[in-house]
Amino acid sequence: MTVEQPHAAHGEEYGHGHGSPFIQHHYDDAKHQFDSGKLGIWIFLAQEVLFFSALFVAYILYRHHHPEIYSYAHKYLDVKMGAINTAVLIFSSLTAAWAVRCAQLNQKRGLILCLSLTIACACTFLVVKYFEYSHKVHEHILFGRYFDPCVSSGGNHLLTRNNECPGSKTTVEWDKEKAVATAGCFADIAIDQDPRMEGVQASCSVAEITGAWEEKVSADGKKTKTFVEKSRKAITTQCPEEHFGHEASGETGHAKASYPCWEVTAQPAVCRPGWFYSWTCSGPVCLEESGSGGPFASQSACQEARSADAAKLKTQGTIAMSECLPGGASGVLVNYNDHYERGESIRIEADCKAPPAATETGDSFAEREQQLQLGKKAIAPAHKLTTHEAHELEAAGPPPEHTNMFFTIYFAMTGLHGVHVLFGVFVFIWLLIRATKGHFTSDYFGPVDFAALYWHIVDLIWIFLFPLLYLIH
Amino acid sequence: MATSTAQHKPSSGPVFPDGPVNEPNYLRINDGKPLWERIKGWLFTLDHKRIGMMYLFGILGSLIVGGAFALLVRTELWAPGKTIVTQDTYNQFFTLHGAVMIFLVIIPGIPAALGNIMMPIQLGAPDVAFPKLNLASFYLWCSGAILLVIAIPFGGLDTGWTLYTPYSLESKTPVLIATSGVFLLGFSSIFTGINFLVTIHKFRPQGMGWFQMPLNIWAIYATAIMQVLATPVLGITVLLLAVERFAHIGIFDPTLGGDPVLFQHFFWFYSHPAVYIMIIPAMGVISELISTFSRKPLFGYRFVAYSSVSLALLSFLVWGHHMFVSGQSRLANMVFSALTFTVGIPSAIKVFNWVATLYKGDIRLKTPMLYALSFLLLFTIGGLTGLFLGILSVDVHLHDTYFVVAHFHYVMMGSTLVAFMGALHYWWPKFTGRMYPEQLGKICAAGVFFGFNLTFIPQFIMGSRGMPRRYWDYDPQYQIYHQLSTIGAFVLGISLLVTVIYLFASLKNGKIAPRNPWGGSSLEWQAPTPPPLYNFEKPPLIHELYNYDDLVEVSEDLWERRAPLDVEPSEVPGHAPEPAKPVAAHPAAAEAAPPPTEEPKPATAVEPPSKEPTETKDGDK
Amino acid sequence: MATTTHDAHDDHDDHGLAHTASVRVLLATGGSLLFLTLVTVLATKVDFGANLNLAVAMLIAVIKATLVVLFFMHLKYDKIFHTVVFTSAILAAALFVGFTLMDSSQYQQTNIWNPDAPPAAPYGPRPIVGG
Repeated sequence: MTVEQPHAAHGEEYGHGHGSPFIQHHYDDAKHQFDSGKLGIWIFLAQEVLFFSALFVAYILYRHHHPEIYSYAHKYLDVKMGAINTAVLIFSSLTAAWAVRCAQLNQKRGLILCLSLTIACACTFLVVKYFEYSHKVHEHILFGRYFDPCVSSGGNHLLTRNNECPGSKTTVEWDKEKAVATAGCFADIAIDQDPRMEGVQASCSVAEITGAWEEKVSADGKKTKTFVEKSRKAITTQCPEEHFGHEASGETGHAKASYPCWEVTAQPAVCRPGWFYSWTCSGPVCLEESGSGGPFASQSACQEARSADAAKLKTQGTIAMSECLPGGASGVLVNYNDHYERGESIRIEADCKAPPAATETGDSFAEREQQLQLGKKAIAPAHKLTTHEAHELEAAGPPPEHTNMFFTIYFAMTGLHGVHVLFGVFVFIWLLIRATKGHFTSDYFGPVDFAALYWHIVDLIWIFLFPLLYLIH
Repeated sequence: MATSTAQHKPSSGPVFPDGPVNEPNYLRINDGKPLWERIKGWLFTLDHKRIGMMYLFGILGSLIVGGAFALLVRTELWAPGKTIVTQDTYNQFFTLHGAVMIFLVIIPGIPAALGNIMMPIQLGAPDVAFPKLNLASFYLWCSGAILLVIAIPFGGLDTGWTLYTPYSLESKTPVLIATSGVFLLGFSSIFTGINFLVTIHKFRPQGMGWFQMPLNIWAIYATAIMQVLATPVLGITVLLLAVERFAHIGIFDPTLGGDPVLFQHFFWFYSHPAVYIMIIPAMGVISELISTFSRKPLFGYRFVAYSSVSLALLSFLVWGHHMFVSGQSRLANMVFSALTFTVGIPSAIKVFNWVATLYKGDIRLKTPMLYALSFLLLFTIGGLTGLFLGILSVDVHLHDTYFVVAHFHYVMMGSTLVAFMGALHYWWPKFTGRMYPEQLGKICAAGVFFGFNLTFIPQFIMGSRGMPRRYWDYDPQYQIYHQLSTIGAFVLGISLLVTVIYLFASLKNGKIAPRNPWGGSSLEWQAPTPPPLYNFEKPPLIHELYNYDDLVEVSEDLWERRAPLDVEPSEVPGHAPEPAKPVAAHPAAAEAAPPPTEEPKPATAVEPPSKEPTETKDGDK
Repeated sequence: MATTTHDAHDDHDDHGLAHTASVRVLLATGGSLLFLTLVTVLATKVDFGANLNLAVAMLIAVIKATLVVLFFMHLKYDKIFHTVVFTSAILAAALFVGFTLMDSSQYQQTNIWNPDAPPAAPYGPRPIVGG
């Protein structure tokens, strides 16, 4: 091995076998520098292993003590995307190792190609990860206190705490003791399969009844108001998004309601007594007289008043909706089977029927739902469930307590890993720039080798994360 | 130069550039250049000595800040109830005292400051393995220090330096800023560890095998192992804490399903090895001091070397002893308690070896030796009281009392800081070129010893009588102990402050230091005082470790080597210098004559052989 | 100065600063890893029982990791000390896991999930939302 003179000229030519100008002064020669760097990077990788170890400890601890959370929650993860990411990372590991080989053999073009492929794969990984994360953000499948899924792990709709799910705008106040909603408004009907709510019915129909209030004087002089129906229409449409929020004045010149307009939406769906029937109406009555402000100055004042009215609700009562209209709220406290007045021209009637007994249909899922709904905590299925059916059943229901912890660990581990991938991208871009300038030769390829080692550790960690997070069953 | 490099085996042994003997020392390299050049020479230096100096300034500054907080704590505790501040402010004082002292002073203290300056020279290397990484470590330390200090005007920190959840999740103080600082400080420590490990593996010169290394370097090696394996866990712990505070991920929050005791496991997995990161370099220094100032080889060299590394490895097994009363299970308690007993063994081995070194030694009571002797007593007390705390039944009573406070101050301050002071005084002449004032040094060493014991012995007593730690208010029965402690704290603080002042003053006014004021035998005493850029003007001679036979005290604080450079000291115990053997004039000759197997190889230097005898004396000056 | 590939004795090429991986070894390792990824995904279709599923997945993961470490990271051809460094990190992590698990197992129930009797599904009330 020729020894490089410590103060040799930093010539314009690189890597022509006379020793690289990148050998530093305090090293004997290229091999000394390379060996030192190699030991250094291996020690760094040891500390990277320890850096991730705490997260693995948390994972193992939680999985050991709460396997039901893992078996439920992992279904939220898309195995296909995870597998693609795994394959991409493995391929990028191959190209990184090949890049080292090219650098060692002075194959500049091969080196540039391999480095570029590695960067491309890393970026692919990050893009796939972006899609995964954004989907979860969209569905509120997040960590810690923000875990508020709009769908169950089986893909079914869920009415959850905030119901801040796509297509719904809701503010609901909850009785924390009983875990029931006590007041609030819903924007649209969610198909709620929360089995804790008793008396779940299988189908409802909502009708919009147009009519008018007429006053009648009875024989003994009492005045009563009765609603006279003029027409009836079944409601199935859904309130389009643009009806929510501010809108420009319409042809009448009046400003429309600042918070959602009324539009009746209903779906033959599960609805329950004492619960909120989420719907909105739209129509001329939504319009607010410009500057008039209405009976309520703001939506929250309206909602407050409405909550106060909640006490007045009985199973067969009514509530005046007109009080809520101007600037009004998105929904109204409803007891199904009630008739409500809305202004003086529209009335919503909801009528729900009991579902057929699930055993008649042979649908074990519905049967379980019904049993839970009827307050039976113990599940006695009509037939012995296969493991697969049991999993599916479990997946369809609401999440077990503290399912948010799975996602805390998921986001912590994949997030930290993703940050390391990002750093790797920057490092490899720097290497690529240096490679195009011809810095790396058979005498000096340390940076390529060491960065590739870092990259392999990143791949290695993902090799463990993939089955641990995505492939639980 | 070409011939000497050809003698080196390529994979070990550093290369020394052909600097003239009159090369300027590392402090004076940019003399005469414009101010900005001189500043850049410090800010962008790659020289380990300059980096170490900058660390030293930062660390001494942090010592003053942490010490100020300590004095505030002690002043508040002069009387029960409010003395100078409210409870919330008091919480901030002890938290910041702990955080500043631990993360900014004690953990980096000996390795980062003195290790950076002296270790490569002691190893015979021109620099550390990764000088740019070294500079990066320093700037990480600075950033971490700035963040930690910036937290103070933004509300401080009142969680205790241990940052236990769930309070640290709810505290209104800027925990996020402080934990970011701790995160950066952690990486500073990790990179320093990587650097030192590779330097010790790859930059030992020919002739210095593993068991010819000074024990200080063994200690730094053991410390670096712990820094690399344990500190990342601190990093992830504070990262999770910060993310939990910021985004409520719930990993430590029981209302969201998390586990607050998990934080304690994570935290102590690092923080227990951390206390060994603090003490092992101190032990390494003490080995050097005791040997040099007893003029005797260190007793049981291999035992001390092995005990350093085994202590580093055992330190990973005992973290649960900080959690005996945190709800840890009985099984874990028993396992950790038993392992804690084993971890005292290597330390005890060292103490025995040091004392055995002193026996029949030619003891010189210079300031560094006074600190070393203080260390022996204070570390013994600290170590033994640690064993008391390791006993489960006793710890139930003593946990979170002043007994624990006194124990860890004995090991962290009475041992590590005292060793740091000793090392600082020992190597001060070498890396500044000035002698500190010896009389004042002795007085301050006595002041530190006396003040320290006055501060902390009352704390042992009141702790065993039940005084809890971190309390702002207390029963009047403890007041006398608190008052004695406070007086001692001020004596200690003043002594340390005077020490720092006279050290800085000596930079201007101190006597010019010779190459070897203490008669030390390790390689750094062969380097010029202060050393030039690559540490040695000619490659140092590797010979028997801790052999003082050939060092003669020419006058007070001036020692010289009597034997010629290329002859083993043991070969000329009392004789006049002999003509040198014709050694290493030719690469072929050197390789043709295999060196004797018992001794380390003779000079790797190339000197004109004819002029050997006369040049030896001058060469040593 | 460019050297051509030494296919004949690449696996033992120590002429340069370090061992150069051969194309064959790289491709074989990459191929094996991709194949094992496929295997591990397909293995999820088969149910060995809750605990064995995990064991099988981890076994495959360990085999993949070993391939990466030995061949891509050159550890097979490298100094033994690098293996020591890496292994000690794994051991330290294993220590961490082991002791912590030993402790928490003492006071937390370990639920072995029984597919025939899935646990009830309480869905906790909305936690207290602070600022």
